[in-house]
Order: sequence, then structure tokens, then C-alpha cells
Amino acid sequence: MATPAARRGERLAPYVLVAPAVLTIVVLRLWPLLLGVNFSFTGDGERDGTAVGVDNYLELFRDPLFQGALGNVALLVLLLPVAVAIPGLIATFIYLRVPGHRLYRSVYFFPAVLSPVIVGAIFNLLLAFDGPVNAALAAVGIGRIDWLGDPDVAMFTVVGVHVWATFGMALVVFLAGFATLDAALLDAARVDGASLPQTIWHVIVPSLIRTIQFVFVTTMVGMLTSMFGLLYVMTSGGPEGSTYLPEYYIWIQQGQMNRPALASAASTVLFLIMLVVGMLQISLLRRAGRED
Amino acid sequence: MKHRAVVSAILVAGLALAGCGSATGSQSSSGDPNGKLVVWDWKSGDASAAAYIDKAKADFASKHPDVTVEFVAQPFDQYYTLLGAAIQAGKGPDVVLFNGGGQIRDRVDALLPLDEYVADDRQRLAGWEAFTSDGRTYAAPVTLQGHPIYYNKALYADAGLDPDSPATTWNEFVDDCAAIIETTGADCLALGNKEGYGIQFFMSGLASGILTPDEYDAWIDGKRDWESANVKRIFQLWKEAGDKGLNNEGANSTAMFNDSFALFQSGKAAHVIGLMSDVGHWKDFGEFLPADELGVMAAPVATAGAVPSLPYDGGIGYGVAKWTTDPAAAAALVRSLTSTEALNAFYAEAGAIASDTTIDVSQAGPAVAAMVPELSSGKPALHVALSSQTLELMGRLSQQLLSGSVTVDEAVRQLADSDQAG
Repeated sequence: MATPAARRGERLAPYVLVAPAVLTIVVLRLWPLLLGVNFSFTGDGERDGTAVGVDNYLELFRDPLFQGALGNVALLVLLLPVAVAIPGLIATFIYLRVPGHRLYRSVYFFPAVLSPVIVGAIFNLLLAFDGPVNAALAAVGIGRIDWLGDPDVAMFTVVGVHVWATFGMALVVFLAGFATLDAALLDAARVDGASLPQTIWHVIVPSLIRTIQFVFVTTMVGMLTSMFGLLYVMTSGGPEGSTYLPEYYIWIQQGQMNRPALASAASTVLFLIMLVVGMLQISLLRRAGRED
Repeated sequence: MKHRAVVSAILVAGLALAGCGSATGSQSSSGDPNGKLVVWDWKSGDASAAAYIDKAKADFASKHPDVTVEFVAQPFDQYYTLLGAAIQAGKGPDVVLFNGGGQIRDRVDALLPLDEYVADDRQRLAGWEAFTSDGRTYAAPVTLQGHPIYYNKALYADAGLDPDSPATTWNEFVDDCAAIIETTGADCLALGNKEGYGIQFFMSGLASGILTPDEYDAWIDGKRDWESANVKRIFQLWKEAGDKGLNNEGANSTAMFNDSFALFQSGKAAHVIGLMSDVGHWKDFGEFLPADELGVMAAPVATAGAVPSLPYDGGIGYGVAKWTTDPAAAAALVRSLTSTEALNAFYAEAGAIASDTTIDVSQAGPAVAAMVPELSSGKPALHVALSSQTLELMGRLSQQLLSGSVTVDEAVRQLADSDQAG
């Protein structure tokens, strides 16, 4: 028979045990987050330290550069299916054992271990106006393209390089998904005379739907939060501000323009965007879980 | 239910805080009271600056043997971001290197006025204006940063032009360019505008041939008439140079450092508006172009009444942070970093045109010999007078002008708005 004191101790024990983790989260995560939100309601420069209400947010949404950055976020979401389809298709070919599939598996994964700065530097050289890619295009009679200097092209160029550099990881996830695929279904499709597109559409896609959803969400988060390095090295937000993303905008305002309060407001907006993406992720995974 | 209560409590606490405090910190006093000064810069790690730093250290050590000095070289591309974090924390280096102009003027709240400490250096050093804000001096100049127009005499000769008589008017310059492009296949102007810096060099390098002396002086004094025909002319000529094919192709995707300078020094472009501090300058170019093939020309005159002059300001300079515990020692270190002996070493090793007017540069070759006499009649560069925000906007607009997606009138209107707001 436990004494009341012992019972109380037992009741409190879980709280004591989780206290370090909770404290760490509150002090190192929530508190800085709240400070950031708090700073976004204060001024920069001469108005440093004074409450300015939502002035920073109004300025932010009036700034064409920030509007452009948000527009680019929307563009990334539109380009997402392409970024998912590429590793999906390549994984399918590897799974279906195209000749040399073992070599391809490692070759495709290799860029995933390169730093974005290195990738950016490599593609800067390749895609320079007088670089080898344009020289090759000129040699076959196609005009040279200003890959990083044309505002209508630059964002697609950077996204393309980002996809090149990161699809290896998604490929591995797809291959793991394929490992769980029932081979009997593929055999049945083959016996029934299904073509490759029919096999992909009617057998592989439905069987891998959970994997596809997972790759969709992780790729989206990666695109929204991990392109800073590439943007910094390849375009510096240019030309004409056409490749700005919220992350890059925050860095410029904080580091170059000495406007930390405005940067805090932009960070808060980016945080809210990421929150929506995170919620979407949770709801997608939950829905996928229910199909089991 | 309990979870909701906890989350609500946190949110309420957060909202209660909203609008209080400051994003740039309280700037409390910190620093090391134990006789140590920390210097932040992006130069002390360069081999070419080693002799300069050694001389400055030795000079300071002889005067303050009880104070140790630690140099922390930061990467330049992250420098102002890191410095911004230090300023927000109200802690950091005691002595800080700055570029002249907007970069220091935007941050004078975190700096100590140095006027009382540097009075004796006033006459010996040049370029103070770039480190001055509201009549107070916040850093002592180490180098002079100018924007001379360098040209390749060999390409001039190949094009049948007289290498010793470059164009003196804009129209002659355009004609010479046509001859160079047609005969040699080289571009006329090496332009790197990927970061939007190209327009700053173009504006400052050529403006003394475009604005009248009165307009020029008014601009520097802060009375900038963006509606004036000659100010618009700067941007019209920028666009004209692009439209007439004077620049290398792909200028908007060509980095200034080092791609556009590489085009010039490899003979693929006949002119470049370069620098005269310690990079993108006569000594860098001299590694590939023999000294007698490297010319320096005055800005071609585009407007009647304009008087070309060398645009230059203080390039880089050391200031003292407000939070240092020993301002006198920190200011003494700044003086050691701008001593004649140290600056002479910087000039000799890195080729920087130092701020010290007493240094003998007679052995440096024809390009320096052409520039240095111009210092006495030179004027501050136009772009240095603009705020960081306006410069950033000007970079983007300059790219749009080259691609044709904005008109000169619209670009100038936006710049005027930004300049007046700043």
C-alpha cells in the first residue's frame, strides 16, 4: 500500500522527467520565436525600440520585392509535381532494372552529398553566358540563353539546379517504397499485356501512394527552406529581383540593409507559411495512414 | 484542455510583449576590461595585408605594451550580417573595419565619434568624408577608393587609335568603341552587373563628364535633383551603352569580382571602370597587362560645361564600437592602423592607394602616376552619397534598364522616391 506522499511522487515523476526537454524547447525555441514576433512590431533605425504596430507588415506587403518573393513561393508550389515526378520516374526505371541500374543508383544520389555552394559554383561556370552549355547550344545552331541573367529564365534555372542537386534523396525514398511493392502485381500486369505507362499508372502509382505523398511534402519543405545557398551563389536574388525568396529577403534586410525589425516581420510571415505547409504535411500523412 | 491552457498562456505572454523591446538590442557595455582589444575586419587574413597589420600592431604595442590586440578576419560576404548580429547584441569587437559611405553611415548609432582622437591625422590622411555623418567622424581612412577608367592600350593600337589620346567626349568614345569592336572583336566595356554594382561604377566613373560641377557638388551635399536632365542622362547613357553593344554580352549575369575584371585583363574588353584600393585595380591588372599597356583616362564629356575629375572617397577605414571599455586605447589602435609606416606597407604589398598623402608612389608605374595627381582635384563618388536601400534599388533598376523592362523616367522616379524617403 503506497503512502499518499509516494503516490504524489509517482504522479509528479513524469513532469519532472520531461521538464528538461520542455525547458529546452521553451528557452531555445519558443522564446526566440516570440522575441522575433515581438521585434516585428518595433521600428528600425530612428524608431528603434519603439512600438510601431503593424507598420513593418504594411511596408512588407507594399514592397514589390517581397511580393515577388511570395510569388516565387507560389511558383515553387506549381513546380513541385515536376520535382517529385523526376525522382519517381527514375526510381521506376531503376526498379524495373534498366541496364546499368546499379550504377545509376549511385550516380543519381551523388549530388545529394554536395554542398549547395559547390553545386552553385559548378553551375555558375556551366551556365555562364560564355560558358560551355551556351557554347554547345551555339554549336548546334541554337541561340545562346542568358540562364542566370534573364529574369524570365533565372528562377527556372535555379529550381532546375536545386532539383538536380536534391532529387537523389527522394530517389532513395522511392526505392525504399518500391521495396515494399508486391512483385506479384507487376507480374500480373505483365501477363495481362500492360504497357509501361499502364503499369506505372495502374500498378506502381496506387501502390506507392504513401511514398509519393511523403516525397511531395518533404520536397516542398526543402524547396521553401533550402534554396538560400543556391540563390546566394547563383543569382544573389537577381536579375531584377526575379529570384528572391522570403529567406533571401530576410537575409538582405537584416544583413545588408540593417533593418532587423523588418526582417523579423518577414521571418514571421515565412514562419506562418511554413506552419501552413507543416499542417498540410500532418493532414496528408494522417490521411495516408487511414488508408491502411 | 490543460494543453490548450498552456498554449494560450504562452500566446498571451507573447502578445503582451509585442511591440516592446528593440530589434537592435540595448547596446549594453561589454568588451574585455583586461587590456585586450578585438578587431573585426576582412583584410587581416589576406597575405597581401600581412605586412600592414604587422606594422600597425608593432606601432600600437610600442605605445600600449599592456594591451593585447586580437584580429578576427571575417569573410567579406558575411561581414555586415555578422556585424549586424554583434550590434543587436550590443557586444562584439572594439575596433571595426568599414567600407566608406552607406555601410558606415547606416551604423553610426553603434560607433563612437573619433574627432577628438584623430585631430592630428586630419591633414596627413585624405578621404574623411566617407566616414563622416552629421559632421562627426566615425572612422579613420586606410585606403582611398576611386573609380578610374582603365583602358587597354594594345587594343587601341590594334584598332588604329592613338593609345595616348583616348576619347575626351562621349561621342568620340562611342566612335572609338565601334572601331575597337569591329577591328579587334573585343568588347568596349567590361561590365559585371550580376550583383547590381556595375551601375554604381558607371555612375561614379562617368558622372563628372555628365553633370556640371554645380550639379555634382549639390548631389554630394545631399541636394539631389533627380528631375534634372543631366541626372537622367547618366541612366540614358547606361542604357545607350547596353543598347549599342558597348558592354560584354550577358552583363546582368556576369559577376563584377572577378569575371568582369577578368574580361578586361585578358584583353577581351578594351575598358573597365575599376577600383584603386587593393582589388580590381592597377596592380591586379598589371599581372596580365604590361604596365605600359594599361592606361587611365578621364571621364569622356557628355555635357557642355562638365569638368571631368577623378571620383574617389575614403575606401575602407577603422572605427571604434560604442561599447568598448577603453575608448582611448581603441582610438589609439585606429591611429596605429592608419600610421604612415603601416599604410606604406599596405601600398607596397597590396598596391592599395593609401589614404596617407605623404607616401611616395613615384615607383608604381604609369597608371598610378596618372591617377595620383588627380587626387587633389578629385571629388567624392556619386554613388557613395546614396543610402544602402537606394543603392540596392538602383542595382535592380539598372538590370531592368539593360533588359528594357523599365524606362529611364520610371527608374529615375523610383530612385528619387527612395532617396527622399531615406
